Amino acid sequence: MRQWLSQIGLVVRLEMRKTFFSKRGIWVYLLALAPVLIFLGHSLSEISNRNERRAMNAAHPVSTEALRAIARGLSIEEVVEKVGEPFQKLEFHRPRNSFDIYRYTDGESVYVFAFQNNRLENIDRRDRDTIPKDALIFAGVFQFFYLRLAIFFGCVGVFTNLFRGEMLDKSLHFYLLTPVRREVLAVGKYLAGLVATVVIFCGSTFLQMAALSLHFEGNEIAEYLSSGGWGHVASYIGVTAAACVGYGGIFLAAGLLFKNPIIPAAIVLVWENLNLFLPAALKKVSVIFYLQSLSPVIPPTDAGMSTIQKLLVTAAEPVRPVWAVVGLLTVTILVLAVAARKARKLEINYSTD
Amino acid sequence: MSDRVILDNVSRFYGEVLGVNRVTLSVPPGITSLVGPNGSGKTTLMNLIMGLVRPTRGDIRVLGISPTDPERLFRLCGYATQFDSFPRGMTGFQFISSYLRLSGMSHADCQRTTAFAIGRVNLGEAAHRKIAGYSKGMRQRIKLAQAIAHNPRVLVLDEPLNGLDPLVRSETIALFREFAAEGRHVIVSSHILHEVDTISDQVILMSNGYVVAEGQIRGVREEMSEHPMQVIIRCTRANLLASRVFEQENVVEVRLHADGGGLLVKTRDADRFYKALNHLALDGIGIESVAPADDNVNSLYEYLIGGEDR
Repeated sequence: MRQWLSQIGLVVRLEMRKTFFSKRGIWVYLLALAPVLIFLGHSLSEISNRNERRAMNAAHPVSTEALRAIARGLSIEEVVEKVGEPFQKLEFHRPRNSFDIYRYTDGESVYVFAFQNNRLENIDRRDRDTIPKDALIFAGVFQFFYLRLAIFFGCVGVFTNLFRGEMLDKSLHFYLLTPVRREVLAVGKYLAGLVATVVIFCGSTFLQMAALSLHFEGNEIAEYLSSGGWGHVASYIGVTAAACVGYGGIFLAAGLLFKNPIIPAAIVLVWENLNLFLPAALKKVSVIFYLQSLSPVIPPTDAGMSTIQKLLVTAAEPVRPVWAVVGLLTVTILVLAVAARKARKLEINYSTD
Repeated sequence: MSDRVILDNVSRFYGEVLGVNRVTLSVPPGITSLVGPNGSGKTTLMNLIMGLVRPTRGDIRVLGISPTDPERLFRLCGYATQFDSFPRGMTGFQFISSYLRLSGMSHADCQRTTAFAIGRVNLGEAAHRKIAGYSKGMRQRIKLAQAIAHNPRVLVLDEPLNGLDPLVRSETIALFREFAAEGRHVIVSSHILHEVDTISDQVILMSNGYVVAEGQIRGVREEMSEHPMQVIIRCTRANLLASRVFEQENVVEVRLHADGGGLLVKTRDADRFYKALNHLALDGIGIESVAPADDNVNSLYEYLIGGEDR
């Protein structure tokens, strides 16, 4: 047993370089970094908007209380008397109607007062993003894009290549000519892939959260973290790692069982996304079922969403986290057992591979 | 523990394509050559012995160990395959030491053993260069170094002399002899009988997946002595080499290549011819490659197999 553990460690070390620095794997990094870039862009845009609002507020100072005291029905003169001149004024005149838009800011929110024929008809307040609001956006991106596409296809790329890639390079036989049990080799390769994907995708999850929180003040972040925020961070990173564990096992086996990994990847993708429609017993034979149960925030299902989108983010019958972990590990171990069995009977026949 | 490599009625089919059929062998220690034309089943037989493919029928034991037990088998066996591919980005030293570590050696032992193995195949200076930059001959030697690094009792080598220049070829053959003299098994394959006949304790001739003859080489050589062998040499100063080669008694015909960069030689005594060629190479004629002509090998096989029928 000790020798097997030592051999697993050595296989992991040997594989690490290939999984982290392979040219074939560049797109995995791009998949992982895509949401980081999206959230970074969002934060930079928010920072720019906030600076603009503050500059406008400095030029046209007005308090939050004064702006909130404005009620419908007031005339333009009355509004200006209470809160001063707006930082932006738009006028539209028609033969029988006149429309005026006055924009104010208290430095945090933007208030848009819409006048019709010199009467305030509508007040639109656009608040800056809050952490709870961004948490829902994050949950949506995490479930729609990150779990179902980025991690899924990242694991396809990394894990199917562990055996299949070496068959294509015609270098797998070097492993098979060492005094290492094939099952030990399969476990070592799986763990190497797991380390690589966990580092890449959990790192990306953390960076996404950091990028998204970039536009909040330090005290807001501290307050969020102390009131359950750390739990969210840990949960998202945990769900990411769990996705790598589950999908990794499936695609390691796929790389051993199929010559073309695209076919099993497509089948698994369809299976995972049909999860909600499956009978209860079959639901449990999927990874996404457990991942949804582990996700800390359920994305909002607003009226603008299609039925399919709503179904995708709604966990069928969420199970308790502990059972979700047990279920996921059971599925993974079963799939790895199939992979190890296949590895034991693996033959080298590069000409047909 | 048995000291033999035993194949008992072994067959292997790839779908409907025959790999090897009903092979029964008991290979003793010493140098054993598996000889046959391309596609005769030599590589399949070696892959079966080393567990890289499984027999469709029959049983294989290597010193009493099943090829399905790599943990025990590869402590005793080394195999240099004919696949000319290597893990990406590795130096020769890293290539050998990385896989050697898997046998449970300590880091220090591994470094020492790797350096020793590389030294035995005279690749010391290139050890820390990337394998991707190696010549064909160097790649052959690094594969050989990997196969012998853990000091195996059974050494299986698929076409190990391919791509080696005459000097390295003779050094490599000396290494095989050294191993065999220590009571180990050295099983080498070749599609060129002349290449291995002088070094082999026994020869297994294969054709179309069947073992057509096996035994000691003497009988076969006597039959071959009347059959001239053709050798293709690519070199500089081909005219000069042609005139020098033709001075050899055993050479019956020399033909210059149309491009002036080589010649075809027919000889009745390949051993003497190769020895003489080594001397000529030292006289300033740059010899790029030496290869027996395939057509001749095939005709030799027809001759030998036909001889069996007579």
